[in-house]
This record gives sequence, C-alpha cells and structure tokens, in this order.
Amino acid sequence: MSFNVLVVDDSMSMRAVIKKIITLSGFQMDKCLEASNGRQALELLAENWVDVILSDINMPEINGLQLLEELGKNETLREIPVIMITTEGSGERMEEAFKRGAKGFIKKPFLPEQIRKVLYDVIGVGENGRYEEDPRNTDELDF
Amino acid sequence: MADMKKIQEILMNSIFDVYEKMFFVFLEPMEDAVSYNLTASIRFSGIFNGELRAYLNKDMARSMVENMLGLESQEITEKQMEDCSKESINMICGSFLERLSPSTVFDLSVPEGSIKSGIFKKEDPGTLNLAFDSDGQLLAVSLVINPGKK
Repeated sequence: MSFNVLVVDDSMSMRAVIKKIITLSGFQMDKCLEASNGRQALELLAENWVDVILSDINMPEINGLQLLEELGKNETLREIPVIMITTEGSGERMEEAFKRGAKGFIKKPFLPEQIRKVLYDVIGVGENGRYEEDPRNTDELDF
Repeated sequence: MADMKKIQEILMNSIFDVYEKMFFVFLEPMEDAVSYNLTASIRFSGIFNGELRAYLNKDMARSMVENMLGLESQEITEKQMEDCSKESINMICGSFLERLSPSTVFDLSVPEGSIKSGIFKKEDPGTLNLAFDSDGQLLAVSLVINPGKK
C-alpha cells in the first residue's frame, strides 16, 4: 500500500532532497505534494489527504510552528502525523513543536538514514502493510 | 559568550558539517581573498543578535546543486544555485547557534540571497571572517555579532 506525503519547506532544493530520500528509503509513495510555506500547505490540505507531513519551521507567511497550531484546530487534519525538519534544534524549540503536536524532529543538516528512521518510527509498519520491507534493515542509502 | 577562538572553531565545524553532509563538498581553510558570484545571508536574534553571510563563486554553487540534487551541470539554473546558497547559510546558522548555546532559543530570519559578484577579503569588517577552498570552488563566511540583547 502506498501513501501520500506533503513536504513543506521554502527551499525547493530541500523539498527535492527530502522527496528523493523518501523514495530511496523504500517507502511506497503514491503522491508527494510540495508547499513552500504553511499557508500553501493548508491550501493543499483543504483539497488533498496526506498520510504524513514533513515540515520546516523557519518559513515566510505561516511558519512550521504556526502550521502545527492550525492543524491542531482541525479535527481531521490534527490526525496527520507531522515531522519537523529544521535548522532550529534547541531543546526548547523541539519541546514547543512536540507540544503543538509534532510527532518527530530531524535537525538539518541530516543524513538520509535519519529521515528514513524517523519516518519509519512515526508512520509505523506491519499491520497496515505499508512497506515491503523494514527500511531500517539496510545501513546506508545509496544517495 | 564564548571567546573568539572558540566561536571560530564552532563556526568552522558547523560549516564543515553542513557542506560535507548536505553537499558532499570537503572544504580546506585558506587565507586568500575570495572572488564571489553569489551571496546569501541570515539574521538571528536571541541573547545576542547578529548576521551570517556566505560568499560563493559559481563553481561552488554549481557543485552544491549538482551534489545535492543529482543534476548534470548543464541542467542547473541560477535560481537553484541561489536556493542552495540560502539553504546552506540557514543550516550553518542553526547548527552554529545550537553548538554555541544549546539551551537558548534564537529567532532566525528567512535567508536572503542574491546574484552579486565581488571580492571578499578576510580583513573586511566583520566579527569573524573565514575563507575556504575545495579544488577551486570558493566559499567565504562572515559573522557579525552584536552583543546587545534584541
């Protein structure tokens, strides 16, 4: 079974890299939507369902923390797991993100394996049969 | 706040980490002036304020895009080079501030970039100026710190 992803980052290069890592990690991705800030993300979510969101924090218009807050206000959207991928890695900032509903946190710069691991931990595997194999079984991604 | 030698060491480690992990570029510190074609900058504020600026030549920016996105040289656009330059200074800034003061929250501005040529000299005004080379791919980073609170 494949799943839909939303990548939110104001850097198009970063969005492209994250998308590539998810594909190389063995996750079966049906659709990968992209938004360059929280406002665009909310617009896309009004018309599309995604299974997981990977979002930066430091973005123009609506930042990642504000996006979490907006998602939390919506009964349906609050169910979507959100993983923050950000340069802002202080303990306090992480705590703030988790308080607002984030399910995972990855600091930039990252290794591809870190995204794979956090995605696996957050989305889970097995009963829903989403993955053909445990993506953690291989040590390194051939990037 | 840490002394200047310590700050320099932390900043260099952050730059190495970002360039090696994200762009597969291995940098060597150098003393020479850097002839640049792109700039990127980001401001930060917290227990102290400041700004980080990066100056890159086209070879460096092109190589970053090639390595990060897996594109061929002829496919690369100026917009992609500018985007990668901005993202690199964003990551350097986050990494540097976290290493410098792990328990402190800093607010970062949205990074800005521009296609602008010039010569960066290590003696240019700035709290700390660093220059790097990787087989002719050039990078300079300048840190300005204002000790006052925001």
